[in-house]
Amino acid sequence: MEADREAFSKLIAGRELVVCAGSGGVGKTTTSAVIALHAAVEGRKVLVLTIDPAKRLANSLGVSSLENTPQRIPLDQFREHGLEPKGELWGMMLDMKQSFDHLVDRYSASEENRQEILNNKIYKYFSTSLAGTQEYAAAERLLELHTEEDYDLIVLDTPPTTHALDFLEAPVRLADAVENKALQWIYKPNLLTGRSGLGLFSAGTSYVVKALSKFTGTAFLDELAVFLRNFSSMFEGFRDRANQVRELLMGDKATFVVVTAPDPLQLDEALFFYEQLGTRQQVAVGGFVVNRVHPNWVPEAELKRPLVSLMNELEALEEPVGALSEETRRELAENLRENAAEFYTLALKDAGSLLRLREEIPQSIPMVQVPFFAQDIHSLEGLSRVREAIFGA
Amino acid sequence: MSLQDQRFVLFSGKGGVGKTVISSAYALSCARRGERTLLMELNVKDKVSSFFGSSSVGSDIVEVEDNLFAVNVTPDAALEEYGLMILKVKLIYKAVFENRIISSFLRSIPGLNDLLMLGKAYFHATEVATDGSYVWDKVVVDAPATGHGLFFLQIPSVITGFISSGHMYEEAKRIQDLLQDPAKTALNLVTLPEEMPVNETLMMRDELQERMGLATTSIIANGVYPPLFSQEQYDWIDEARDAVAPDSELLGGFLDAASFRGQRVDLQNEYLERLENEVDLPLYYVPYHFTDRVTFPVISKIADQLAAQISGEQEPTALSAQ
Repeated sequence: MEADREAFSKLIAGRELVVCAGSGGVGKTTTSAVIALHAAVEGRKVLVLTIDPAKRLANSLGVSSLENTPQRIPLDQFREHGLEPKGELWGMMLDMKQSFDHLVDRYSASEENRQEILNNKIYKYFSTSLAGTQEYAAAERLLELHTEEDYDLIVLDTPPTTHALDFLEAPVRLADAVENKALQWIYKPNLLTGRSGLGLFSAGTSYVVKALSKFTGTAFLDELAVFLRNFSSMFEGFRDRANQVRELLMGDKATFVVVTAPDPLQLDEALFFYEQLGTRQQVAVGGFVVNRVHPNWVPEAELKRPLVSLMNELEALEEPVGALSEETRRELAENLRENAAEFYTLALKDAGSLLRLREEIPQSIPMVQVPFFAQDIHSLEGLSRVREAIFGA
Repeated sequence: MSLQDQRFVLFSGKGGVGKTVISSAYALSCARRGERTLLMELNVKDKVSSFFGSSSVGSDIVEVEDNLFAVNVTPDAALEEYGLMILKVKLIYKAVFENRIISSFLRSIPGLNDLLMLGKAYFHATEVATDGSYVWDKVVVDAPATGHGLFFLQIPSVITGFISSGHMYEEAKRIQDLLQDPAKTALNLVTLPEEMPVNETLMMRDELQERMGLATTSIIANGVYPPLFSQEQYDWIDEARDAVAPDSELLGGFLDAASFRGQRVDLQNEYLERLENEVDLPLYYVPYHFTDRVTFPVISKIADQLAAQISGEQEPTALSAQ
């Protein structure tokens, strides 16, 4: 375990970009915050780009809430927890709608074009709702921050999506969509027919198009044509940037950290994700963080102790604590044994998952674990404890 | 409105809170009451089959228990069914939808996949047999997680917002009407008694109401630790831990494990209290199950626990959850 922590520290120290990935509810946001905090303590200038931090997490870092632009997070408070922060920590929350509007501001061809896009009904829906656009906006923002600002490290907390690969695939898919022949056929009808015309229906009259319009309605296709025409004018060089994002993420400055919980179903998803990242995306997963691992308090042999022996020990404690009736003592002993057995089941399950994970990934990939704590970790103390679990004391 | 009268029942909530488990258990409780029930997963890695010990659930409806049927809807299969319904003839369907340009076009229409899956769910929720009776007494949908779930449920209103005719419009309008009818549709949010899931649940309830005019029917708190010990016992345990010398072998691990549970119970009660204070809806509690993998016995037990609370047989409180 110590070797894993060392390797994990080395991994983070050697990268400019760390992407935390995994399915929803596994502690990605906290993990991202802790990785960033650690690197900042070590002396680097770090930005953590997060999606939706718990208010308490932001508060515990000494800021009321995070904004859509980087904000300095005071580190002095960590001195009380025995840390000597040497670098800088910056935090930023990604607002998807704002990020996408920001792209339009930045890349639209003219003011008129900008207004047309922002007011388009399809855009309004598209910019907040379409699966993949959030991920695209995040990727674009990441590229911008990486090339234009001077952070030593950027830690990215990916959007909580069931299809976590969207984050990587979205840029290219959007580029594909805009350059897609079929779509061009909607907004540049003369491409196929050789005739000029505005909408689809001035051009095509085949039964295929008729059938399609029966399905979607002509109004929808016309709206879509307007949207695509505006949008495509904005995305000159769209593919260039999509490629730059990919290069950045696939290069040796970046690493992916898969965050998971030890539940078998969640581990299944993490492993699926790991495999997809490697085979389909050719990006390197540099490490695993397994959160909320149940500790084991009582060894298996002790669980079978006879009730009377537990009762005797309870009795020995009654002198300093307070006398119990025979009945309460028995009930308490039974509960203690049942409780220990229940948590033993969970500890065993988690240990099994960790073993399985270790077998499925190469030895060279460090796998660090964070115990399931009795308290919320949204406090300085909590963050320090997670930091210790991941990076060592 | 209780959670047993509607025909169309959806479950959403933050990722990782156990939506599939709760959807499956609820569907099982309906089937056990004698209702012919269809449980729908939407284009996900199938988990339902592992709960019911059936072979894997794909895009064809299969029976997984008495009265209980399941399907894992994929957009492609839904498109084919839907396209066939409109175009009537398979040959024309093939010519249109399997046309390379058209199919590539369809794949890039924003939101079409969600509309197709929602449309399929709508179809079954309103499907009638030749004698005029409903084919399904209950259609239970394991809907996407919070963020995506909002987009998913918003699709019909977005479509009716910018087009006003055609099949797609009519379909969207019908779905929208069904979703907004609290007598026919129950929209439930699953949560864990923890900070982020509770935040997201409250946020989603508000957004559903404000943006789509959809009322939440109930909230289900999943994974609630049964306290096991009484408060007096917890107090005694804490004092005992203080009293035990660090090197003592007396009950050491047993007391630590008990104290851990006590602290988690306190923490969860804080969040449950918040839910109770801020939510004016039926709130159901599903206890944490200390098992190594969710299999049929767990689903079966949760089905009974939910049924007892929904029918009013059992007062739904966190304490009674044990």
